[in-house]
Amino acid sequence: MTLSDTGTRVLAREQAAPAARRGSRLGPRSLVHPPGTGLALVLPAVLFVTVFVLAPLVFAVYISLTNWPLIGPYKFVGLANYESIVQDGAFWQSVVYTLTYTVIVTLPILVVGYLMAVVVRANRRGSTALRTIFFLPYVIGLSTLSFLLVLEAQPGSGAVNLLLKALHITGGETAWLVNGPLATGLICALVIWAVSGLTMVLLISGMQSIPRELYESAEIDGATWWGREFHVTIPLLRRTIGMSLILSVIGSFLAFSQFYILTQGGPGRATTPIVLYIYQRAFVQLQVGAATALSIVLIIVVALISAGQFWLLRERD
Amino acid sequence: MATTVERPAAPARPRRSAPSGRGGRGESSTKLTLYVLAAVLAVVVFVVPLIWAVLRAFQPNSVITAPAGLSALSKLGLGNFQGLTSEGHILRAVGNSLIVAVSTAILTTILATSAGYGLGRFRFRGSNVAFALILVTLMIPFQAILTPLFLELNAMNLTNSRLGLVLFYSTVNLPFGVFVMRTAFASVPGVLEEAARVDGAGTLRTFTHVLRPLVVPGMATTALYAFLAAWTEFLGALTFLTSENLYTLPVSLVNLQLGAYGEVNYGFLAAGAVIAMVPCVILFVALQRYYVEGMAAGGVKG
Repeated sequence: MTLSDTGTRVLAREQAAPAARRGSRLGPRSLVHPPGTGLALVLPAVLFVTVFVLAPLVFAVYISLTNWPLIGPYKFVGLANYESIVQDGAFWQSVVYTLTYTVIVTLPILVVGYLMAVVVRANRRGSTALRTIFFLPYVIGLSTLSFLLVLEAQPGSGAVNLLLKALHITGGETAWLVNGPLATGLICALVIWAVSGLTMVLLISGMQSIPRELYESAEIDGATWWGREFHVTIPLLRRTIGMSLILSVIGSFLAFSQFYILTQGGPGRATTPIVLYIYQRAFVQLQVGAATALSIVLIIVVALISAGQFWLLRERD
Repeated sequence: MATTVERPAAPARPRRSAPSGRGGRGESSTKLTLYVLAAVLAVVVFVVPLIWAVLRAFQPNSVITAPAGLSALSKLGLGNFQGLTSEGHILRAVGNSLIVAVSTAILTTILATSAGYGLGRFRFRGSNVAFALILVTLMIPFQAILTPLFLELNAMNLTNSRLGLVLFYSTVNLPFGVFVMRTAFASVPGVLEEAARVDGAGTLRTFTHVLRPLVVPGMATTALYAFLAAWTEFLGALTFLTSENLYTLPVSLVNLQLGAYGEVNYGFLAAGAVIAMVPCVILFVALQRYYVEGMAAGGVKG
């Protein structure tokens, strides 16, 4: 070991000693790290991911081929769970509902997020504060916001009704949460309000990396503000826009908390998205085998959408 | 984990058109007017509801369920918080949430830092496979493996346990954390490590004395994300916890809302939700720099 004679370096040798003992003899210029250190450092994380993600994934395939109840013995049923998906009207209802919800919120989230980004992208006075404000609801999270919305959606007393009454739009007695379409509308509004900030953050960094000269030359060419946005900003940001669209579509496909908290999926099944339906099948009706077959379908769909995300990221490099 | 915060919130710093910004020079007054209008609108749409929510926490149930009016603003008091203290459920849930979220932040940061060190500064056979394995889990939503995970945790006696929840949350947050830490370690100049090597420093000492100061921001980012994710998570906690005394705050609040603790008291619900909200707001505003860094480094996240 190349060691000079200063005090600190002696100390360094003492600190290094245990590591050296564990490893093989080290030549004067060889690595100080004992062999296998890199692997040993990565192993705990790999172990966690294997035990709590990959093993359940494999296990899921197995469970989906059984009639697994939550309690008691099970037997193999082959592909019966998958075959019954076709006739599972309630499942398809939840698929249609999730798709409808996704279609309703995706574009507004992009547009609102884009507008927010336009407002705060230049470093003006107060733009940092505005960024914080726009992003705050996302940080607070949909579960907490849903609890707060529960009281504001009450007929006669909630702020939503108070506001609509003050604007002379309604009489202020709307029972938002017990009517399927109204509850869906309210939840969509909450989600757009809460998560557009994420799209904004993703877009800002993209916008700030666009060279200023491009805008200046567009301006010289006489382009209007709209022209510059459509011909400079949007084309250059298409990958970032694609990324944020994919993230919000995945988020919509996996939506759960806001529905569970605000409507419990009701009235009837009117506001039951896929994840809530699977949750009910598994933990209320205790049909774990059937529920897991549905989960496998969900995993495949979400994995395909995520693959698009990785493809976009690869393109960027 | 102690982190130094040199830049507390204070976002309203006047910064006149920094090089990266556009529109500073020769800005038209129309543009400025639009900006001011947008700012006012933003405050009305995004800040007023949150302030309103905080005020709700100080209104008794009778005021919250009465036809709303501005007079409600004068009937504020600490009754809800006193009520929550004597009622017990929510207060215990706050404790559970705190234990789970802090433990998750610590465990995630340890695991991610270790893996990031290994992946960012070592070349070994299988490192690419390990990284791919960790990243690929980003594509598997935990919502879709809830049933096998429940059975597995149950077999390990980890359902209805704070430890089980911490292990689960740490795993969910791990891919992002590893990504951030790998980037942080990989961006440390090799010269520094070389110097440590010449001085004969071992793996641990190289980390604690040479690399650590440079990767602390990444660790803060990882811990912050993990804490916030664990603090607000709902579905997993709802599924894995069955005894009331272990409920985290969101699960406890849903029980309160659905009347499991007796007649629904909206004052308690508002106060509980505000208790859930406050740490998120404070942590985000204080540590925003790390949060935004995570966004930039992660790129992949939901």
